[in-house]
Amino acid sequence: MARPGLGRVKVTGGAGPASADRPARIAHLDRDRPLVEAAQRDPLQFDSLYRRYLAQVYSFAFYELGDHHDAEDATERTFLAALAGLGRFEERARPADGDGASTFRVWLFQIARNVIANQHRGRRRHPQAPLEAAALVADPLDVEGGATTRDEAAAAWQAVGRLPADRRRAVVLRFVEEMSTAEIAGILGRSEGAVRVLIHRALRTVGRDLDGRGTSSHDSDRR
Amino acid sequence: MTLDRDTAATDALLTDLYLDALLASVVLDAVAAGTPDDAAGQLDPAARRAADRLRHDLVRVHPSFRFEERLATRLAEAAVAMRVPLAAGAEGRVIAFRPGPGLDLDPGAAPPEAGADREEVPPNPSAPERIEADGDPARRVPTRPLLIGGALTSAALSIAGAAFVAWRLGRPGRASTPMARAARAVRDARLTSSLGSTVATRARSTARRLD
Repeated sequence: MARPGLGRVKVTGGAGPASADRPARIAHLDRDRPLVEAAQRDPLQFDSLYRRYLAQVYSFAFYELGDHHDAEDATERTFLAALAGLGRFEERARPADGDGASTFRVWLFQIARNVIANQHRGRRRHPQAPLEAAALVADPLDVEGGATTRDEAAAAWQAVGRLPADRRRAVVLRFVEEMSTAEIAGILGRSEGAVRVLIHRALRTVGRDLDGRGTSSHDSDRR
Repeated sequence: MTLDRDTAATDALLTDLYLDALLASVVLDAVAAGTPDDAAGQLDPAARRAADRLRHDLVRVHPSFRFEERLATRLAEAAVAMRVPLAAGAEGRVIAFRPGPGLDLDPGAAPPEAGADREEVPPNPSAPERIEADGDPARRVPTRPLLIGGALTSAALSIAGAAFVAWRLGRPGRASTPMARAARAVRDARLTSSLGSTVATRARSTARRLD
């Protein structure tokens, strides 16, 4: 994975001795800056950004909607909206965002979040297919271990699916997309501290949920 | 109340640090080596177990290759559609136009000094800053915004189109394809028949008048 760096940007404009002595401004470089600039010059170059983020956007949509067709629909709308609005995108990466930050990714996921929210509003129901989804995750070649893996994955998915929407989104972005707290804060429109608390509480809830399920399943085994 | 909030914030921060290490696979390596991370020891056990489970079970799901290629095609089509306005003239930009010495666009302005004007003309005419930076109002050449690029392209296309039509109409050996010959024959036949009918009608009316 390409890592961003701190780029030295030459200050231009203004003539005279005062500006000549002025030190160069330090700007944090977005990881995706070259690709974004290329796509803004030539929309056909958007394909590189699409290939880079397709799986991430699709995963996010799939965890949120719980259905492959809905996730495909949301992914398609997200990328089409991103392509149409790419000219208006402005990079706002700060050193505080940390290494590996991409404001383009945050912007893209903000679009995805809105698209998914619209789809949620349209169908007015919660994800319904954690078991089927978990079955896809299990290794199809591992016949013996497959059933156990599938059960465990399904339990984890169900526990996450029962979380309130904001906590679920934060957990998915943190674990599936492996985003930093700052990036999640940008996507969800919250402070970093609030995102930390969301994730911490979500983990405690999921932990209790999984522990309770483990105990009850052991009990049922004994019975 | 404040204490509870501080405790929650501290726990959340610890969890965040643990997750940073976990997602970077540092914690798993440390556990495998028998030296658990410091942050993990202070963490709520339930939260820690959940984090380890979710790290393992929440995997990224990839869409089908068919969907990926279909969407890529759709995006490419949309990108091409976005490029069409560019090709049609949206790339034209407004630049500062500096007229030559013989072209007086501002009759009220004082005539520039001979000789000095040539030195003042910058090599790049699209540099309005240089024109504005010129402190002497007498030497300032009036600037006019000019849309070029798209306008020139459309004008060139129009001229080329007119020349092509003129050439098509005026060239001696006109279209010799079977379809063109057939169309021409039908048109000639229609013209002849209409002319013939007109002449016959006139002859009949003349004959009636004579009668």
